[in-house]
Amino acid sequence: MVELKHGFKIDTAKCVGRMHCMRACPTHAIRVKNGKAHLIPELCIDCGSCLGVCPSKAISATTITLAELGRFKFKVAVASPALFTQFGLNDTPAQVGRALLDLGFDAVWEYAVDIELVDLAITDCVTKWPGPFPLISDSCPVVVRLVQVAYPSMVEQLLPIEIPREIAGREVKRKYSRELGLKLEEIAAIYITPCQAKSISILQPAEEGKSYLDGAIGISEIYNDILYRLRKETTKLQNGGQDNTSDLGELFHWGNPEGEFPNLSREHYLPLSGLTDVIKVFDDIEKGKLANIEFLECHACLGGCVGGNLTVENLYVARSKDLHLKANMPKPTPEFEREVARRYAGEDFAMRSSIRPRSLARDVVDLRERVMRRKRAEEILKGLPLLNCGLCGAPSCKDHADDVASSRSEISDCVFLSKARIDLLRKIYKKGPRSVKK
Amino acid sequence: MAAELLRESFQIQGRNFDKAGEISSEIKMILKDLGIDAGCLRRAVIVAFEAEMNVAMYADRGTLTLVLTDKDISLDVRDEGPGIPDIELALQEGYSTASDEMRDMGFGFGMGLPNMKKNSDEFCLESEVGKGTRVFARIRLNSHG
Repeated sequence: MVELKHGFKIDTAKCVGRMHCMRACPTHAIRVKNGKAHLIPELCIDCGSCLGVCPSKAISATTITLAELGRFKFKVAVASPALFTQFGLNDTPAQVGRALLDLGFDAVWEYAVDIELVDLAITDCVTKWPGPFPLISDSCPVVVRLVQVAYPSMVEQLLPIEIPREIAGREVKRKYSRELGLKLEEIAAIYITPCQAKSISILQPAEEGKSYLDGAIGISEIYNDILYRLRKETTKLQNGGQDNTSDLGELFHWGNPEGEFPNLSREHYLPLSGLTDVIKVFDDIEKGKLANIEFLECHACLGGCVGGNLTVENLYVARSKDLHLKANMPKPTPEFEREVARRYAGEDFAMRSSIRPRSLARDVVDLRERVMRRKRAEEILKGLPLLNCGLCGAPSCKDHADDVASSRSEISDCVFLSKARIDLLRKIYKKGPRSVKK
Repeated sequence: MAAELLRESFQIQGRNFDKAGEISSEIKMILKDLGIDAGCLRRAVIVAFEAEMNVAMYADRGTLTLVLTDKDISLDVRDEGPGIPDIELALQEGYSTASDEMRDMGFGFGMGLPNMKKNSDEFCLESEVGKGTRVFARIRLNSHG
Protein backbone atom coordinates (compact mmCIF):
# COMPACT_ATOMS: atom_id res chain seq x y z
CA MET A 1 0.00 0.00 0.00
CA VAL A 2 1.26 3.45 -0.87
CA GLU A 3 1.89 5.53 2.20
CA LEU A 4 -0.44 8.50 2.24
CA LYS A 5 0.98 11.91 2.75
CA HIS A 6 -1.12 14.41 4.59
CA GLY A 7 -1.48 18.16 4.43
CA PHE A 8 -0.82 18.74 8.08
CA LYS A 9 1.31 17.49 10.92
CA ILE A 10 0.56 16.89 14.56
CA ASP A 11 3.30 18.23 16.81
CA THR A 12 3.31 15.67 19.62
CA ALA A 13 5.39 17.94 21.83
CA LYS A 14 2.64 20.56 21.76
CA CYS A 15 -0.27 18.12 21.85
CA VAL A 16 -1.82 17.77 25.31
CA GLY A 17 -4.47 15.32 24.18
CA ARG A 18 -7.58 17.40 24.60
CA MET A 19 -9.37 15.49 21.86
CA HIS A 20 -10.90 18.45 20.02
CA CYS A 21 -9.42 17.14 16.78
CA MET A 22 -10.66 13.61 17.44
CA ARG A 23 -14.20 14.86 17.93
CA ALA A 24 -14.09 17.19 14.93
CA CYS A 25 -12.82 14.61 12.46
CA PRO A 26 -15.63 13.64 10.05
CA THR A 27 -14.03 10.34 9.06
CA HIS A 28 -13.09 9.29 12.62
CA ALA A 29 -9.44 9.11 11.65
CA ILE A 30 -7.92 10.38 14.91
CA ARG A 31 -7.26 8.51 18.14
CA VAL A 32 -5.83 9.95 21.34
CA LYS A 33 -3.68 7.45 23.16
CA ASN A 34 -1.50 8.27 26.17
CA GLY A 35 -2.51 11.89 25.92
CA LYS A 36 -1.32 12.34 22.33
CA ALA A 37 -3.34 12.54 19.14
CA HIS A 38 -2.38 10.37 16.24
CA LEU A 39 -3.76 9.67 12.83
CA ILE A 40 -5.03 6.55 11.08
CA PRO A 41 -3.60 7.71 7.75
CA GLU A 42 -5.80 5.65 5.44
CA LEU A 43 -8.96 7.19 6.89
CA CYS A 44 -7.83 10.82 6.69
CA ILE A 45 -9.16 12.84 3.76
CA ASP A 46 -7.26 16.05 4.55
CA CYS A 47 -10.34 18.16 5.14
CA GLY A 48 -8.49 20.16 7.77
CA SER A 49 -11.35 20.09 10.29
CA CYS A 50 -8.80 19.27 12.99
CA LEU A 51 -6.58 22.19 12.13
CA GLY A 52 -8.67 25.04 13.46
CA VAL A 53 -10.03 23.33 16.56
CA CYS A 54 -6.77 22.44 18.32
CA PRO A 55 -6.52 24.55 21.49
CA SER A 56 -2.76 23.91 21.74
CA LYS A 57 -2.06 24.84 18.10
CA ALA A 58 -0.34 21.47 17.76
CA ILE A 59 -1.70 20.80 14.26
CA SER A 60 -0.26 22.81 11.42
CA ALA A 61 -0.50 22.78 7.66
CA THR A 62 2.43 21.49 5.62
CA THR A 63 2.55 24.55 3.45
CA ILE A 64 5.84 26.28 2.73
CA THR A 65 7.17 29.78 3.39
CA LEU A 66 8.73 32.27 0.99
CA ALA A 67 12.10 31.78 2.65
CA GLU A 68 12.17 28.17 1.46
CA LEU A 69 12.14 29.21 -2.18
CA GLY A 70 15.76 30.35 -2.35
CA ARG A 71 16.89 27.38 -4.42
CA PHE A 72 14.79 28.53 -7.41
CA LYS A 73 16.04 31.10 -9.92
CA PHE A 74 12.59 32.26 -10.95
CA LYS A 75 9.57 32.19 -8.68
CA VAL A 76 6.06 32.49 -10.03
CA ALA A 77 2.95 32.94 -7.88
CA VAL A 78 -0.23 31.23 -9.03
CA ALA A 79 -2.81 32.87 -6.79
CA SER A 80 -6.14 31.26 -5.94
CA PRO A 81 -8.90 33.77 -6.74
CA ALA A 82 -9.80 33.46 -3.06
CA LEU A 83 -6.71 35.57 -2.28
CA PHE A 84 -8.26 38.66 -3.87
CA THR A 85 -11.38 38.38 -1.74
CA GLN A 86 -9.40 38.78 1.47
CA PHE A 87 -8.68 42.48 1.31
CA GLY A 88 -10.69 45.73 1.29
CA LEU A 89 -13.37 46.52 -1.27
CA ASN A 90 -11.08 48.99 -3.04
CA ASP A 91 -7.96 46.84 -3.11
CA THR A 92 -7.77 45.57 -6.67
CA PRO A 93 -6.39 42.20 -7.78
CA ALA A 94 -3.67 44.11 -9.63
CA GLN A 95 -2.54 45.84 -6.42
CA VAL A 96 -2.51 42.53 -4.59
CA GLY A 97 -0.55 41.08 -7.50
CA ARG A 98 2.03 43.84 -7.28
CA ALA A 99 2.30 43.28 -3.55
CA LEU A 100 3.19 39.65 -4.35
CA LEU A 101 5.95 40.89 -6.67
CA ASP A 102 7.23 43.19 -3.96
CA LEU A 103 7.22 40.24 -1.57
CA GLY A 104 9.79 38.49 -3.72
CA PHE A 105 7.99 36.71 -6.51
CA ASP A 106 9.44 37.26 -9.97
CA ALA A 107 6.07 36.99 -11.68
CA VAL A 108 2.40 36.66 -10.86
CA TRP A 109 0.64 34.27 -13.16
CA GLU A 110 -2.36 35.34 -15.26
CA TYR A 111 -4.38 32.54 -13.70
CA ALA A 112 -7.73 33.63 -15.14
CA VAL A 113 -6.62 32.22 -18.50
CA ASP A 114 -6.17 28.72 -17.07
CA ILE A 115 -9.48 28.92 -15.25
CA GLU A 116 -11.23 29.96 -18.46
CA LEU A 117 -9.50 27.12 -20.34
CA VAL A 118 -10.55 24.49 -17.84
CA ASP A 119 -14.07 25.94 -17.74
CA LEU A 120 -14.26 25.41 -21.50
CA ALA A 121 -12.80 21.92 -21.24
CA ILE A 122 -15.29 20.98 -18.51
CA THR A 123 -18.25 22.23 -20.52
CA ASP A 124 -17.02 20.20 -23.47
CA CYS A 125 -16.45 17.10 -21.35
CA VAL A 126 -19.86 17.33 -19.65
CA THR A 127 -21.61 17.66 -23.01
CA LYS A 128 -19.91 14.55 -24.37
CA TRP A 129 -19.90 12.43 -21.21
CA PRO A 130 -21.78 9.14 -21.76
CA GLY A 131 -22.38 8.59 -18.03
CA PRO A 132 -22.59 7.60 -15.27
CA PHE A 133 -23.98 10.86 -13.95
CA PRO A 134 -23.47 13.14 -12.19
CA LEU A 135 -19.87 13.99 -12.96
CA ILE A 136 -18.17 15.23 -9.80
CA SER A 137 -15.76 18.16 -9.81
CA ASP A 138 -12.14 17.35 -9.01
CA SER A 139 -10.74 20.72 -7.99
CA CYS A 140 -11.28 20.22 -4.26
CA PRO A 141 -8.71 17.63 -3.11
CA VAL A 142 -10.80 16.76 -0.04
CA VAL A 143 -13.73 15.78 -2.22
CA VAL A 144 -11.47 13.65 -4.39
CA ARG A 145 -10.00 11.88 -1.34
CA LEU A 146 -13.42 11.42 0.17
CA VAL A 147 -14.55 9.63 -2.98
CA GLN A 148 -11.37 7.53 -3.09
CA VAL A 149 -11.65 6.49 0.55
CA ALA A 150 -15.36 6.35 1.31
CA TYR A 151 -17.17 6.15 -2.06
CA PRO A 152 -14.89 3.96 -4.19
CA SER A 153 -17.75 3.01 -6.49
CA MET A 154 -17.94 6.66 -7.56
CA VAL A 155 -14.34 7.25 -8.65
CA GLU A 156 -15.34 6.84 -12.28
CA GLN A 157 -17.65 9.82 -11.83
CA LEU A 158 -14.79 12.15 -10.94
CA LEU A 159 -14.24 14.65 -13.72
CA PRO A 160 -11.39 13.34 -15.91
CA ILE A 161 -10.11 16.86 -16.55
CA GLU A 162 -6.88 18.24 -15.11
CA ILE A 163 -7.41 20.97 -12.51
CA PRO A 164 -6.66 24.64 -13.37
CA ARG A 165 -3.77 25.00 -10.94
CA GLU A 166 -1.94 22.07 -12.53
CA ILE A 167 -2.59 23.38 -16.04
CA ALA A 168 -1.20 26.71 -14.83
CA GLY A 169 1.87 25.07 -13.27
CA ARG A 170 2.67 23.25 -16.50
CA GLU A 171 2.34 26.42 -18.58
CA VAL A 172 4.42 28.46 -16.10
CA LYS A 173 7.32 26.06 -16.62
CA ARG A 174 6.89 25.92 -20.39
CA LYS A 175 6.69 29.66 -20.84
CA TYR A 176 9.54 30.77 -18.61
CA SER A 177 11.94 28.03 -19.61
CA ARG A 178 11.37 29.08 -23.21
CA GLU A 179 11.55 32.82 -22.60
CA LEU A 180 14.34 32.91 -20.02
CA GLY A 181 16.30 29.85 -21.07
CA LEU A 182 15.97 28.32 -17.60
CA LYS A 183 15.81 24.64 -16.73
CA LEU A 184 12.40 23.43 -15.54
CA GLU A 185 13.72 22.74 -12.06
CA GLU A 186 15.02 26.30 -11.73
CA ILE A 187 11.49 27.67 -12.05
CA ALA A 188 9.13 27.53 -9.10
CA ALA A 189 5.37 27.55 -9.62
CA ILE A 190 3.91 28.29 -6.22
CA TYR A 191 0.22 28.12 -5.46
CA ILE A 192 -1.17 30.70 -3.05
CA THR A 193 -3.68 28.49 -1.33
CA PRO A 194 -6.85 28.99 0.72
CA CYS A 195 -6.50 25.57 2.40
CA GLN A 196 -3.93 22.96 3.39
CA ALA A 197 -5.63 20.32 1.26
CA LYS A 198 -4.34 21.89 -1.95
CA SER A 199 -0.84 21.52 -0.61
CA ILE A 200 -1.50 17.79 -0.31
CA SER A 201 -2.65 17.55 -3.86
CA ILE A 202 0.73 19.01 -4.76
CA LEU A 203 2.71 16.68 -2.47
CA GLN A 204 0.74 13.66 -3.62
CA PRO A 205 -1.73 14.12 -6.49
CA ALA A 206 -4.78 11.85 -6.41
CA GLU A 207 -3.82 10.15 -9.66
CA GLU A 208 -0.42 9.28 -8.18
CA GLY A 209 1.62 11.31 -10.63
CA LYS A 210 3.82 14.30 -9.90
CA SER A 211 2.48 17.83 -9.54
CA TYR A 212 3.60 20.64 -11.84
CA LEU A 213 3.52 22.94 -8.86
CA ASP A 214 6.42 23.17 -6.44
CA GLY A 215 4.55 23.97 -3.26
CA ALA A 216 1.79 25.98 -1.71
CA ILE A 217 1.87 29.03 0.53
CA GLY A 218 -1.17 29.60 2.72
CA ILE A 219 -3.04 32.86 2.29
CA SER A 220 -2.87 33.43 6.05
CA GLU A 221 0.93 33.06 5.86
CA ILE A 222 1.37 36.11 3.62
CA TYR A 223 -1.79 38.03 4.48
CA ASN A 224 -0.10 40.52 6.78
CA ASP A 225 2.78 41.17 4.37
CA ILE A 226 0.34 41.93 1.58
CA LEU A 227 -1.95 44.04 3.75
CA TYR A 228 1.03 46.08 4.91
CA ARG A 229 2.01 46.83 1.32
CA LEU A 230 -1.57 47.69 0.36
CA ARG A 231 -1.80 50.20 3.21
CA LYS A 232 1.72 51.57 3.70
CA GLU A 233 3.52 51.25 0.42
CA THR A 234 0.79 52.34 -1.92
CA THR A 235 3.13 54.19 -4.29
CA LYS A 236 4.97 50.96 -5.06
CA LEU A 237 1.72 49.34 -6.12
CA GLN A 238 0.63 52.04 -8.57
CA ASN A 239 0.46 51.35 -12.27
CA GLY A 240 -0.15 54.67 -13.99
CA GLY A 241 -3.39 55.02 -12.07
CA GLN A 242 -5.30 52.71 -14.42
CA ASP A 243 -5.93 49.58 -12.50
CA ASN A 244 -8.50 47.97 -14.74
CA THR A 245 -6.03 47.35 -17.52
CA SER A 246 -3.39 45.69 -15.46
CA ASP A 247 0.12 45.06 -16.67
CA LEU A 248 -0.25 41.70 -14.91
CA GLY A 249 -3.13 40.51 -17.06
CA GLU A 250 -6.26 38.94 -15.64
CA LEU A 251 -5.74 37.55 -12.16
CA PHE A 252 -9.34 37.17 -11.11
CA HIS A 253 -11.96 35.18 -13.01
CA TRP A 254 -15.72 35.71 -13.14
CA GLY A 255 -16.39 32.01 -12.73
CA ASN A 256 -13.89 30.66 -10.23
CA PRO A 257 -12.24 27.30 -10.60
CA GLU A 258 -13.58 27.23 -7.13
CA GLY A 259 -16.88 28.84 -7.97
CA GLU A 260 -19.44 28.65 -10.73
CA PHE A 261 -19.54 27.38 -14.27
CA PRO A 262 -21.72 29.87 -16.09
CA ASN A 263 -21.43 27.97 -19.36
CA LEU A 264 -23.22 24.90 -18.08
CA SER A 265 -26.95 24.34 -18.27
CA ARG A 266 -28.59 25.68 -15.09
CA GLU A 267 -30.93 22.75 -14.90
CA HIS A 268 -28.25 20.09 -14.90
CA TYR A 269 -25.60 21.78 -12.80
CA LEU A 270 -25.60 21.66 -9.04
CA PRO A 271 -23.06 23.36 -6.77
CA LEU A 272 -22.75 22.27 -3.16
CA SER A 273 -20.40 23.03 -0.33
CA GLY A 274 -19.64 21.93 3.21
CA LEU A 275 -18.38 18.45 4.01
CA THR A 276 -21.53 17.40 5.89
CA ASP A 277 -23.73 18.16 2.90
CA VAL A 278 -21.27 16.63 0.44
CA ILE A 279 -21.36 13.37 2.43
CA LYS A 280 -25.18 13.40 2.53
CA VAL A 281 -25.39 13.95 -1.21
CA PHE A 282 -22.79 11.26 -1.98
CA ASP A 283 -24.82 8.81 0.12
CA ASP A 284 -27.82 9.55 -2.06
CA ILE A 285 -25.84 9.28 -5.28
CA GLU A 286 -24.77 5.82 -4.16
CA LYS A 287 -28.46 4.93 -3.95
CA GLY A 288 -28.87 6.03 -7.55
CA LYS A 289 -30.25 9.52 -6.92
CA LEU A 290 -29.30 12.75 -8.74
CA ALA A 291 -28.51 10.95 -12.00
CA ASN A 292 -30.40 13.78 -13.73
CA ILE A 293 -27.62 16.18 -12.74
CA GLU A 294 -24.77 16.34 -15.24
CA PHE A 295 -22.20 18.16 -13.18
CA LEU A 296 -21.96 18.33 -9.42
CA GLU A 297 -19.55 20.92 -8.15
CA CYS A 298 -18.44 19.99 -4.66
CA HIS A 299 -16.37 21.86 -2.13
CA ALA A 300 -15.53 20.54 1.30
CA CYS A 301 -15.41 24.02 2.82
CA LEU A 302 -18.68 25.79 3.44
CA GLY A 303 -19.00 28.56 0.89
CA GLY A 304 -16.29 27.06 -1.32
CA CYS A 305 -12.65 28.12 -1.35
CA VAL A 306 -13.27 31.62 0.01
CA GLY A 307 -14.17 29.72 3.19
CA GLY A 308 -10.92 27.73 3.19
CA ASN A 309 -9.16 27.13 6.50
CA LEU A 310 -6.09 29.16 5.52
CA THR A 311 -8.11 32.24 4.62
CA VAL A 312 -8.29 35.14 7.04
CA GLU A 313 -11.46 37.06 6.30
CA ASN A 314 -14.89 35.99 7.51
CA LEU A 315 -16.54 33.87 4.79
CA TYR A 316 -19.38 36.30 4.17
CA VAL A 317 -17.18 39.37 4.06
CA ALA A 318 -14.99 37.54 1.56
CA ARG A 319 -18.07 36.50 -0.39
CA SER A 320 -19.26 40.10 -0.61
CA LYS A 321 -15.85 41.14 -1.91
CA ASP A 322 -16.04 38.29 -4.41
CA LEU A 323 -19.44 39.51 -5.63
CA HIS A 324 -18.11 43.06 -5.81
CA LEU A 325 -15.15 41.96 -7.92
CA LYS A 326 -17.39 39.98 -10.26
CA ALA A 327 -19.93 42.76 -10.64
CA ASN A 328 -17.22 45.24 -11.56
CA MET A 329 -15.17 43.04 -13.85
CA PRO A 330 -14.41 44.74 -17.14
CA LYS A 331 -15.06 42.78 -20.31
CA PRO A 332 -12.23 40.37 -21.12
CA THR A 333 -9.52 42.14 -23.08
CA PRO A 334 -8.73 41.08 -26.66
CA GLU A 335 -5.30 39.93 -25.40
CA PHE A 336 -7.01 37.70 -22.84
CA GLU A 337 -9.29 36.17 -25.46
CA ARG A 338 -6.42 35.68 -27.89
CA GLU A 339 -4.39 33.93 -25.20
CA VAL A 340 -7.30 31.66 -24.31
CA ALA A 341 -7.87 30.76 -27.97
CA ARG A 342 -4.15 30.16 -28.55
CA ARG A 343 -3.73 27.86 -25.58
CA TYR A 344 -7.05 26.04 -25.92
CA ALA A 345 -5.97 24.82 -29.33
CA GLY A 346 -2.79 23.22 -28.04
CA GLU A 347 -3.55 22.26 -24.45
CA ASP A 348 -4.09 18.70 -23.27
CA PHE A 349 -6.66 18.67 -20.49
CA ALA A 350 -6.78 14.95 -19.85
CA MET A 351 -5.60 13.71 -16.47
CA ARG A 352 -2.20 12.10 -16.65
CA SER A 353 -3.60 8.88 -15.27
CA SER A 354 -6.91 7.80 -13.85
CA ILE A 355 -7.89 8.23 -10.21
CA ARG A 356 -8.31 4.94 -8.37
CA PRO A 357 -9.94 4.01 -5.08
CA ARG A 358 -7.62 4.01 -2.08
CA SER A 359 -7.32 0.59 -0.58
CA LEU A 360 -7.87 0.46 3.13
CA ALA A 361 -5.87 -1.60 5.57
CA ARG A 362 -8.94 -3.74 6.30
CA ASP A 363 -8.79 -5.16 2.79
CA VAL A 364 -5.80 -7.17 3.87
CA VAL A 365 -7.82 -9.89 5.60
CA ASP A 366 -10.41 -12.02 3.82
CA LEU A 367 -14.16 -11.56 3.88
CA ARG A 368 -14.73 -14.30 6.45
CA GLU A 369 -12.36 -12.61 8.90
CA ARG A 370 -13.97 -9.23 8.20
CA VAL A 371 -17.40 -10.66 9.03
CA MET A 372 -15.97 -12.19 12.22
CA ARG A 373 -14.51 -8.84 13.22
CA ARG A 374 -17.81 -7.16 12.59
CA LYS A 375 -19.62 -9.69 14.76
CA ARG A 376 -17.00 -9.32 17.49
CA ALA A 377 -17.38 -5.53 17.29
CA GLU A 378 -21.16 -5.81 17.64
CA GLU A 379 -20.76 -7.97 20.75
CA ILE A 380 -18.20 -5.59 22.22
CA LEU A 381 -20.43 -2.59 21.51
CA LYS A 382 -23.20 -4.13 23.62
CA GLY A 383 -20.95 -3.82 26.67
CA LEU A 384 -20.05 -0.18 26.07
CA PRO A 385 -22.02 2.78 27.51
CA LEU A 386 -22.81 4.42 24.13
CA LEU A 387 -22.03 7.82 25.60
CA ASN A 388 -19.26 8.53 23.10
CA CYS A 389 -17.29 10.24 25.87
CA GLY A 390 -14.09 9.65 23.97
CA LEU A 391 -12.03 8.89 27.09
CA CYS A 392 -10.91 5.58 25.62
CA GLY A 393 -9.21 7.63 22.92
CA ALA A 394 -11.66 6.82 20.12
CA PRO A 395 -14.31 9.31 19.00
CA SER A 396 -17.27 6.98 19.65
CA CYS A 397 -18.12 3.72 21.38
CA LYS A 398 -18.60 2.17 17.97
CA ASP A 399 -15.10 3.18 16.91
CA HIS A 400 -13.74 1.73 20.13
CA ALA A 401 -15.57 -1.54 19.48
CA ASP A 402 -14.17 -1.65 15.94
CA ASP A 403 -10.66 -0.89 17.20
CA VAL A 404 -10.87 -3.66 19.80
CA ALA A 405 -12.29 -6.14 17.28
CA SER A 406 -9.37 -5.41 14.96
CA SER A 407 -6.87 -5.66 17.85
CA ARG A 408 -5.88 -2.01 17.51
CA SER A 409 -6.97 -1.27 21.03
CA GLU A 410 -7.76 -2.88 24.40
CA ILE A 411 -11.38 -3.06 25.55
CA SER A 412 -10.20 -1.97 29.02
CA ASP A 413 -9.42 1.46 27.59
CA CYS A 414 -13.10 2.19 28.30
CA VAL A 415 -13.33 4.01 31.65
CA PHE A 416 -16.62 2.27 32.39
CA LEU A 417 -14.93 -1.10 32.28
CA SER A 418 -11.67 -0.35 34.05
CA LYS A 419 -10.70 1.71 37.00
CA ALA A 420 -7.08 1.47 35.95
CA ARG A 421 -7.97 3.51 32.87
CA ILE A 422 -9.30 6.35 35.02
CA ASP A 423 -6.15 6.30 37.13
CA LEU A 424 -4.03 6.41 34.00
CA LEU A 425 -6.01 9.31 32.54
CA ARG A 426 -5.70 11.14 35.85
CA LYS A 427 -1.96 10.74 35.68
CA ILE A 428 -1.75 11.91 32.05
CA TYR A 429 -4.10 14.86 32.28
CA LYS A 430 -3.14 16.15 35.71
CA LYS A 431 0.06 17.49 34.24
CA GLY A 432 -1.87 19.44 31.65
CA PRO A 433 -2.47 23.16 31.81
CA ARG A 434 -6.13 22.63 32.69
CA SER A 435 -5.56 20.89 36.05
CA VAL A 436 -7.77 22.34 38.75
CA LYS A 437 -6.11 23.70 41.85
CA LYS A 438 -8.02 23.42 45.04
CA MET B 1 -23.67 -24.29 -1.47
CA ALA B 2 -21.70 -21.32 -0.29
CA ALA B 3 -21.28 -20.89 3.45
CA GLU B 4 -23.48 -18.27 5.01
CA LEU B 5 -21.41 -15.62 6.77
CA LEU B 6 -23.98 -13.09 7.83
CA ARG B 7 -27.77 -12.83 7.97
CA GLU B 8 -29.69 -9.78 9.13
CA SER B 9 -33.37 -8.90 8.86
CA PHE B 10 -34.91 -5.44 8.87
CA GLN B 11 -38.51 -4.34 9.29
CA ILE B 12 -39.76 -1.87 6.71
CA GLN B 13 -42.63 0.39 7.69
CA GLY B 14 -45.20 0.72 4.92
CA ARG B 15 -46.67 4.07 3.81
CA ASN B 16 -43.94 5.97 5.54
CA PHE B 17 -41.91 8.23 3.30
CA ASP B 18 -40.01 9.92 6.11
CA LYS B 19 -38.16 6.80 7.13
CA ALA B 20 -37.85 5.32 3.67
CA GLY B 21 -34.22 4.88 2.70
CA GLU B 22 -32.90 4.28 6.21
CA ILE B 23 -32.65 0.52 5.82
CA SER B 24 -30.76 0.68 2.57
CA SER B 25 -28.43 3.19 4.23
CA GLU B 26 -27.86 0.71 7.04
CA ILE B 27 -27.19 -2.08 4.56
CA LYS B 28 -24.73 0.16 2.81
CA MET B 29 -22.92 0.82 6.10
CA ILE B 30 -22.72 -2.90 6.83
CA LEU B 31 -21.38 -3.80 3.39
CA LYS B 32 -19.00 -0.87 3.41
CA ASP B 33 -17.74 -1.85 6.86
CA LEU B 34 -17.03 -5.29 5.49
CA GLY B 35 -15.05 -3.81 2.64
CA ILE B 36 -17.27 -5.30 -0.09
CA ASP B 37 -16.08 -4.47 -3.59
CA ALA B 38 -17.37 -1.05 -4.70
CA GLY B 39 -19.26 -2.26 -7.77
CA CYS B 40 -21.08 -5.05 -5.93
CA LEU B 41 -21.86 -2.71 -3.06
CA ARG B 42 -23.37 -0.15 -5.35
CA ARG B 43 -25.59 -2.67 -7.10
CA ALA B 44 -26.74 -4.17 -3.80
CA VAL B 45 -27.55 -0.74 -2.39
CA ILE B 46 -29.56 0.26 -5.47
CA VAL B 47 -31.58 -2.97 -5.24
CA ALA B 48 -32.13 -2.52 -1.50
CA PHE B 49 -33.13 1.12 -1.92
CA GLU B 50 -35.64 0.45 -4.70
CA ALA B 51 -37.11 -2.49 -2.78
CA GLU B 52 -37.42 -0.42 0.35
CA MET B 53 -39.12 2.39 -1.55
CA ASN B 54 -41.60 -0.01 -3.09
CA VAL B 55 -42.59 -1.38 0.29
CA ALA B 56 -42.75 2.11 1.79
CA MET B 57 -44.96 3.35 -1.04
CA TYR B 58 -47.38 0.49 -1.51
CA ALA B 59 -47.39 -1.97 1.37
CA ASP B 60 -48.51 -2.05 5.00
CA ARG B 61 -45.29 -3.58 6.20
CA GLY B 62 -42.43 -5.67 4.99
CA THR B 63 -39.13 -7.29 5.87
CA LEU B 64 -35.83 -7.16 4.11
CA THR B 65 -33.33 -9.93 4.78
CA LEU B 66 -29.72 -9.53 3.85
CA VAL B 67 -27.64 -12.69 3.52
CA LEU B 68 -23.95 -12.64 2.81
CA THR B 69 -21.96 -15.67 1.78
CA ASP B 70 -18.39 -15.81 0.54
CA LYS B 71 -19.82 -15.94 -2.99
CA ASP B 72 -22.70 -13.49 -3.07
CA ILE B 73 -25.03 -10.99 -1.45
CA SER B 74 -28.71 -11.82 -1.49
CA LEU B 75 -31.65 -9.62 -0.62
CA ASP B 76 -35.03 -11.14 0.16
CA VAL B 77 -37.86 -8.64 0.49
CA ARG B 78 -41.36 -9.73 1.49
CA ASP B 79 -44.28 -7.42 2.07
CA GLU B 80 -47.90 -7.48 3.09
CA GLY B 81 -49.49 -5.28 0.46
CA PRO B 82 -51.75 -5.08 -2.55
CA GLY B 83 -49.63 -7.41 -4.69
CA ILE B 84 -48.87 -7.03 -8.40
CA PRO B 85 -51.56 -8.31 -10.84
CA ASP B 86 -49.36 -8.39 -13.95
CA ILE B 87 -45.71 -9.07 -13.16
CA GLU B 88 -44.55 -8.91 -16.76
CA LEU B 89 -46.09 -5.47 -17.16
CA ALA B 90 -44.64 -4.28 -13.83
CA LEU B 91 -41.15 -5.17 -15.03
CA GLN B 92 -41.45 -2.96 -18.11
CA GLU B 93 -39.50 0.27 -17.93
CA GLY B 94 -41.76 3.26 -17.47
CA TYR B 95 -44.79 1.31 -16.28
CA SER B 96 -45.98 2.78 -13.01
CA THR B 97 -48.98 2.78 -10.73
CA ALA B 98 -47.61 5.53 -8.52
CA SER B 99 -49.95 8.18 -7.13
CA ASP B 100 -49.44 11.90 -7.77
CA GLU B 101 -48.14 12.24 -4.23
CA MET B 102 -45.40 9.67 -4.91
CA ARG B 103 -44.51 11.35 -8.18
CA ASP B 104 -44.35 14.73 -6.46
CA MET B 105 -41.68 13.25 -4.25
CA GLY B 106 -39.65 12.17 -7.23
CA PHE B 107 -40.65 8.51 -7.31
CA GLY B 108 -42.91 6.42 -9.45
CA PHE B 109 -41.25 6.76 -12.83
CA GLY B 110 -41.67 3.07 -13.46
CA MET B 111 -37.96 2.36 -13.11
CA GLY B 112 -37.88 0.69 -9.69
CA LEU B 113 -38.39 -2.96 -10.53
CA PRO B 114 -36.56 -2.84 -13.88
CA ASN B 115 -33.67 -1.13 -12.10
CA MET B 116 -33.55 -3.87 -9.47
CA LYS B 117 -33.55 -6.55 -12.12
CA LYS B 118 -30.82 -4.77 -14.07
CA ASN B 119 -28.58 -4.59 -11.00
CA SER B 120 -29.00 -8.23 -9.95
CA ASP B 121 -27.33 -11.37 -11.23
CA GLU B 122 -30.36 -13.36 -10.23
CA PHE B 123 -33.79 -11.81 -9.82
CA CYS B 124 -37.13 -13.30 -8.93
CA LEU B 125 -40.49 -11.62 -8.37
CA GLU B 126 -43.52 -13.40 -6.97
CA SER B 127 -46.80 -11.82 -6.01
CA GLU B 128 -50.31 -12.62 -4.93
CA VAL B 129 -52.94 -9.93 -5.36
CA GLY B 130 -54.36 -8.84 -2.03
CA LYS B 131 -51.66 -10.61 -0.05
CA GLY B 132 -48.23 -9.36 -0.87
CA THR B 133 -45.09 -9.47 -2.94
CA ARG B 134 -41.74 -11.19 -2.64
CA VAL B 135 -38.62 -10.00 -4.39
CA PHE B 136 -35.42 -12.00 -4.32
CA ALA B 137 -32.19 -10.63 -5.74
CA ARG B 138 -28.71 -12.10 -5.76
CA ILE B 139 -25.53 -10.19 -6.51
CA ARG B 140 -22.37 -12.21 -7.05
CA LEU B 141 -19.21 -11.03 -5.36
CA ASN B 142 -16.01 -10.55 -7.29
CA SER B 143 -13.30 -13.07 -6.57
CA HIS B 144 -11.79 -10.93 -3.81
CA GLY B 145 -15.04 -9.90 -2.19
